[in-house]
Amino acid sequence: MNDFMIETTQLTKMYGGQKAVNCVDLHVRKGRVYGLLGRNGAGKTTIMKMILGLTPITSGEVSVFGQNIKGREKRVYPRIGAIIETPGFYPNLTGTENLEIFARLRGTAAPNAVKDALEIVGLPYKDKKLFSKYSLGMKQRLGIANAILHDPELLILDEPTNGLDPIGIAEMREFIRKLSVEHGKTILLSSHILSEIAVLADEIGIIDHGVLLEETSMAELEKKNSKYILLEVSNVPKATLILERQFGLKDYSVQGDQTLRIYDTALDMAAVNKALVMQNIAVASSQLCNDTLEDYFKKITGGEGIA
Amino acid sequence: MLKLIQIEFMKLRRRKLVWLMLLASLVMPFFAFLYYGYFGKTGIDPAAFYKWSAFGYTMLIILPFVLGMLCTILMYNENRYDMLKQLWIVPVSRLGYFFSKFFVVLIYSVCFMLITAIASVLFSVLPGYVVFEWGSIFFLMKKCLEIALFTAFAMLPVLAVTASQKGYILSVCITLIYAFAGFFMTPINMYLHPLSCVSVIVSRSGDIPGLTLPQAVHAPVAILGIFLWSVAATLFAMVTLNRRK
Repeated sequence: MNDFMIETTQLTKMYGGQKAVNCVDLHVRKGRVYGLLGRNGAGKTTIMKMILGLTPITSGEVSVFGQNIKGREKRVYPRIGAIIETPGFYPNLTGTENLEIFARLRGTAAPNAVKDALEIVGLPYKDKKLFSKYSLGMKQRLGIANAILHDPELLILDEPTNGLDPIGIAEMREFIRKLSVEHGKTILLSSHILSEIAVLADEIGIIDHGVLLEETSMAELEKKNSKYILLEVSNVPKATLILERQFGLKDYSVQGDQTLRIYDTALDMAAVNKALVMQNIAVASSQLCNDTLEDYFKKITGGEGIA
Repeated sequence: MLKLIQIEFMKLRRRKLVWLMLLASLVMPFFAFLYYGYFGKTGIDPAAFYKWSAFGYTMLIILPFVLGMLCTILMYNENRYDMLKQLWIVPVSRLGYFFSKFFVVLIYSVCFMLITAIASVLFSVLPGYVVFEWGSIFFLMKKCLEIALFTAFAMLPVLAVTASQKGYILSVCITLIYAFAGFFMTPINMYLHPLSCVSVIVSRSGDIPGLTLPQAVHAPVAILGIFLWSVAATLFAMVTLNRRK
């Protein structure tokens, strides 16, 4: 038996004649944070909706907690907390009143569940401010509070930092990590913000035009991402000549008039610098670089970066 | 279901319009008071007064319109603010969701007609137009409860349509058309429109003076008419709610 909390097999969604999600095989392991990364409209929300049974699947299968969700909603949903798109609440009620409604609907047993959930996301308990007066960030926090209200094992968070200010984003990231590390929650989150996924996710799925292009762990990704030495010199043709002749270097690329990328990171840079300076080539800088997630994203989607 | 109904009432907090609409229940009793006051009659037949105050425009226009407005209010927030998907993953069943709203409409309808009944008694007995007697009050209460119950069922099509609307303008327009259609269709065919069927059921015993119906009264046919409309409305609502995710 595998330890996947969510597993999809050849998951496909068609809208009219267009494939919004195309044969996606997703694997979310227990206790891990899975980041679904993709541009706006890539199919992230549709996948989440299909996982939750909120939209019909055209073909393929979804398994949550090792079972198909259809027909088992009453048993499965109480174990899931989710926010899909912008969470909506009753505008004529306060945040506390809104959560009390959901707590009653879920039959949440913990007496302080609403208070605790609000405290966790940094919203006041029994505040008189109506939801209609909430800022976008406060609405998002209330959505998260609603998702964690019943202490679910699995959280499905669609763009959880949408609308938050920079401090709010940092707090939310810390909070999500805490939920995973300290409380052992399994989290599937989507984002179009690369840095967010890079900071939060243990595992990553890159989706583009409905196709899951890559599914890997962040640790694997870091290994895969090429390291190189970025060398800035006054005379590139002369420098390449020296590198080839003196150091036998072949694995390099010229990036511009004054920049070289050397992919052999084991090269003795002190000796290279010395050799170049001896030949009257000024070395403006030499540094060890790593491909960023954005570089990787560009590489595998074959296009522009996203954030 | 009881929990869902209680929650529906929790959602109505600070909705002043819901409570203000109850004032509409006083409109016809007040006009009846003015009407009989103008002629200065006393000792009139209680049923004749109550026909004016409760069994006339209150039943045909005011109550259906008020209930239609309530249906719109009950459905508006969840449709407008895209809340249904949050409710489905609680999970709340579509049928439970729809019928919890219906029961709120039913309770509201009963409250509305009870206020109408009490106001009718007060506006008729206190000025001395009608002699106080328990028999006529029980008759009024019975008829008001019948109106409340059957009109609530007759409003199920409106509740189903409002479930499919994100805005409120179309819902209010549909409510108006629905209420007036019932009013104008009664002389043509009493068994086609659910609100006409309510008139048939209420006047089945012929004990409301002056209320004449153009066709022969068959209460079971009228009940069947309301039932068929209710089933159709529920099916429509289920299809709509399944689509709204």
